[in-house]
Amino acid sequence: MDDRTAPRPLPGMSFQATATAGTSTSPGTARPMISTRNLDFHYGASQALKGISLDFPARQVTGLIGPSGCGKSTLLRVLNRMYDLYPGQRATGEVLLDGETIIGPHVDANRLRSRVGMVFQKPTPFPMSVESNVAFGIRLHERLGRADMAARIEDALRRVALWNEVKDRLRTSATSLSGGQQQRLCIARTIATRPEVILLDEPTSALDPISTARIEELLDELKQDFTIAIVTHNLQQAARCADRVAFFYMGELVEVDEASRLFTTPRQKRTQDYITGRFG
Amino acid sequence: MSNPGHIVTSYEQELNQLRGLMARMGGLVESQTAHAIQAILEHNPEAAQMAMEQDPEVDALEREVEARAIKMLALRAPMAQDLREIVSALKVTSDLERIGDYAANVAKRSLRLGTAGADISLGGLRNMGRLVQEGLRLAIDALGQNDKDKALDVWRSDKAVDEIYTAMFRELVTYMMEDPRNIGACTHLLFIAKNLERIGDHATNIAERVHYAVTGEMLPPARPRGGFTPEATP
Repeated sequence: MDDRTAPRPLPGMSFQATATAGTSTSPGTARPMISTRNLDFHYGASQALKGISLDFPARQVTGLIGPSGCGKSTLLRVLNRMYDLYPGQRATGEVLLDGETIIGPHVDANRLRSRVGMVFQKPTPFPMSVESNVAFGIRLHERLGRADMAARIEDALRRVALWNEVKDRLRTSATSLSGGQQQRLCIARTIATRPEVILLDEPTSALDPISTARIEELLDELKQDFTIAIVTHNLQQAARCADRVAFFYMGELVEVDEASRLFTTPRQKRTQDYITGRFG
Repeated sequence: MSNPGHIVTSYEQELNQLRGLMARMGGLVESQTAHAIQAILEHNPEAAQMAMEQDPEVDALEREVEARAIKMLALRAPMAQDLREIVSALKVTSDLERIGDYAANVAKRSLRLGTAGADISLGGLRNMGRLVQEGLRLAIDALGQNDKDKALDVWRSDKAVDEIYTAMFRELVTYMMEDPRNIGACTHLLFIAKNLERIGDHATNIAERVHYAVTGEMLPPARPRGGFTPEATP
């Protein structure tokens, strides 16, 4: 059987139960789900990442911060090989997902993207019904019966706390939802395929404070089961959501530390000057 | 510190204003403490009056520092050294206010004591007053200059004040046992010594906050202490 069609249980979890909460090791000591080593990235002749070596510990939220153009979003695009879609962009170095390399021509990018989901800055619901949006990714990788599919859709929508708001209009167009609901729907679509890692690129920058708070609350829930990387320009958001935070500047990783340490006592002057608003 | 200024100049101005208020408050409590010590050692009621009259201004400054620090926390969401400096200001302002209260108490007691204890040696109190003033001056310098080394000097030097306090405690108890007529004056002197010792403690607290604000590292909870006797802490 093609392993893409096999429902893949998430490592060490029951999808409904989140009883493993609190058992993860303290920030910085957990097993890395993703590791990059000496990662370089080029957009044509221009180098966007310079020798990045960074671990993303399993079931933790890693925040990526830094001024525009520092390479943080580029790093996310490497982690699910989205750059493959564009000619002239290339990554060199090592990126391991749960110990397996993901850089190289022999890696199946589709399978990789089912393991590493991504949510973008602006909600990107497909112009179809709410339930079809959630089912879309599942259908790419699995063949489920009607009842199983319905259960999976409900589960994904419940996990993003959207079920109660949309259960009576599952067949209406997803574009009729509010911005915050659309973004939660996109997260539901991502987690419905049961990835191991979720990448979020400024997921709340287009949302109002209440919708933002809902997404932040959601991240706290989701990290019980997923490894999360979030790019954000909102330092308070990184402080609130991330266990560890990495500061990038001009394609370099300047500093990575526990959020509580990085935002109170950064080790590097460049980090200090950036987070206190002295440059950037 | 050789930090570049904030991109938002009004934020930089607010931080500077906060530093200015702290410096003013520090200067005031230094002067209050000096007047209080002068009042007791020289039986000088004018100095006592000065120390007591400065107290309301110190209290008002504490409220202003608190209000500004809270406003900055709410509106600026400070990070890293800014955060440490503002949170430390909140704590230091309360230490300074307490020092002002102790100085005012010493001044009040000096008025009540008058010349009643004229026969009792004030040598210990003189030494203690000198050390406490030195420590306080150094702590306030460290605060104004963000100087972690000066802060560490203060933190280490409080032991000497504690030792003198314990010695004075024994001396005054001996006077009281020798002649019960000394009890009134010695009790005042004991409280005065205790107040000075507490001023030393708060100066050490300020040094700890400055060290944290500058380095981000907390000093260990157990600081060097000297001559502690349980009965010596009323």
